[in-house]
Amino acid sequence: MTPVYRAVFGGYWLGWLLLGLGFGLLLWFIAAWWDQSEPASSAQKLLIGLGFLGVVWGLARVAQQFVDTPNPLIGFTPAALTLLALLVTAEALLRAYQVPPGLIPTPSRVLSTLLEVRDVLLRDAFQTVVLEALVGYLVGCSLGLLTALLISRYVFLERGLLPYAALFSSIPIVALAPVLVKMIGIDWPSKAVIVAITVFFPMVVNTFRGLTEISPLSLDLMRSYAANEAQQYRWLRLPNALPFIFNALKLGTTLAMIGAIVGEFFGANGQGLGFRIQIEAGRFGFDIVWSAIIVASVIGIAWYNLVGWLERRLTGWHVSYR
Amino acid sequence: MRISPNLVPMLVVALAVLALYWPLMYLVNIPVAQRALDTGAALPCQTAFECATQLRSPVLPSPQQLWNGFGNLMLPLNSPNAIPINAAVTAFETVVGLLLAGVVGFFFAIGMVASRAFERALLPWIVASQTVPIIAIAPMLVVLLGQYGVQGWFPKAIIAAYIAFFPITIGVAKGLKSPDPMALDLMKTYNASPWQTYLKLRFPASVPYLFTAFKVAMTAALIGAIVAEISTISFQGIGKMLAENSRASDVVAMWVIMLSSAVLGILLVALVNWLERLLTPWRRAAGGAAVPAKQARLSRQEGVG
Repeated sequence: MTPVYRAVFGGYWLGWLLLGLGFGLLLWFIAAWWDQSEPASSAQKLLIGLGFLGVVWGLARVAQQFVDTPNPLIGFTPAALTLLALLVTAEALLRAYQVPPGLIPTPSRVLSTLLEVRDVLLRDAFQTVVLEALVGYLVGCSLGLLTALLISRYVFLERGLLPYAALFSSIPIVALAPVLVKMIGIDWPSKAVIVAITVFFPMVVNTFRGLTEISPLSLDLMRSYAANEAQQYRWLRLPNALPFIFNALKLGTTLAMIGAIVGEFFGANGQGLGFRIQIEAGRFGFDIVWSAIIVASVIGIAWYNLVGWLERRLTGWHVSYR
Repeated sequence: MRISPNLVPMLVVALAVLALYWPLMYLVNIPVAQRALDTGAALPCQTAFECATQLRSPVLPSPQQLWNGFGNLMLPLNSPNAIPINAAVTAFETVVGLLLAGVVGFFFAIGMVASRAFERALLPWIVASQTVPIIAIAPMLVVLLGQYGVQGWFPKAIIAAYIAFFPITIGVAKGLKSPDPMALDLMKTYNASPWQTYLKLRFPASVPYLFTAFKVAMTAALIGAIVAEISTISFQGIGKMLAENSRASDVVAMWVIMLSSAVLGILLVALVNWLERLLTPWRRAAGGAAVPAKQARLSRQEGVG
């Protein structure tokens, strides 16, 4: 047993063996059933079940190995294996039962469609993400920040506006979408407004908490330095609010994507991921729907992680990262 | 009863908004009305100023129009096309979805608290499922379930659950981890089995977190239910009314439905609040004289944690 072998597999050889066997079984079936058009026999379905069981069991054993790793990439391995397992099992099951591709397309089919229609989807994504989600996100977040600053400064505004902001957070924003689309028009600005409204309220509530939940000791210290209002905000309140602001910014990325896509359900100018999803779902073109979802998810995850990266750069001093 | 110090400022803000609404309404509606008059549309009014409050599709509807719209859509109360029944259907889907999400959320939360490996393998995808515009899956899921004979309110409840399970998972996981180490040590000294630890310590400790999560999840589930109704063939529900009136370009009706669904959202969250107060009386009465010492201590810890 070489040291490399031991480093990689450690005491987990049984887990890796099960994982390999399971994947092998599933992939072997997919390869064998690639061109078949009749459903598989029940023995073969049992085989798929065994393969899946092997993968899950192996995964459960193997994942223990990655529990304490500090490297985020290596720590991601179990999650990546989970996704792979789900995809391969879905592919095998769909092929075994010969589910018509108009109903549920196999993962491999979705991937090839994604490559085929990538130009259209990228144009859609530009409209949805850059014009609608990003513009609305930036406008909504800046307005939310400003409002929170004002509210934290003037008690009257706090008492008059903050209860409404809390109330608004329990309102289903989607109901706003059709009204706004009718009011502003079917081009991208209406969706940007929807996004801005969606991200506005979490931003106000979170930033306000960050600006006001300050230890009395720090406030006393500022007072003994004779710091004026502006200095207090610059050196104490804003830094204290940064983690809260970033929380809202991260939450906002998700809300922005959802807002833009749902807004397009109510009227679009022939472009956009939400528009594409709705049109193709109506025509049973689910391979394109899935491709659009993949594009939207990849962008959503990348955006979220970008904000997360900014957060780590700007609030690295904060307790939660030490 | 003590009057909240927020009341006067809130009223002032509400009045200011109302006072600004009229001029704003005229400002945005008069150009539309003028254009309608110029094209010679048959309108029951002569000047643009008069017409601004009577437009068929106003940019901002006048209060009179909204009032009439409410009358049209609310009455008769038992009509299948009126808001009350449709709102009830949507609320039902939302609540069923929330309960489903609660079951799934508990399952994931217990898994994540019990096994770090489970957390490593699944948590990234649970988080990713949120950065993904989940709503995009709704139209497809409904068509899919419809193919296998699942129709009516159930697919909507599933979508509501799909959107709502995340806050519950995270909230419950936080709650299950919240008992302080001393209490966990105590359970160990009592030689409590893992089951007993969960039943007697972790679950009770997670209740406050559960309700906080439920409030967030309730709104999410309502959004899910409405979107599911919009993007599918449905015969009842707020979302169906929205989609119908959106196609018919009935702007006033859309405003009325929007406001009603806002009220529905607020009511549903208020329901969770009420349940919370009903089921966790020790939190409401924290510091009160009648609170048993043990429970008062518990709630203080939760307040700090």
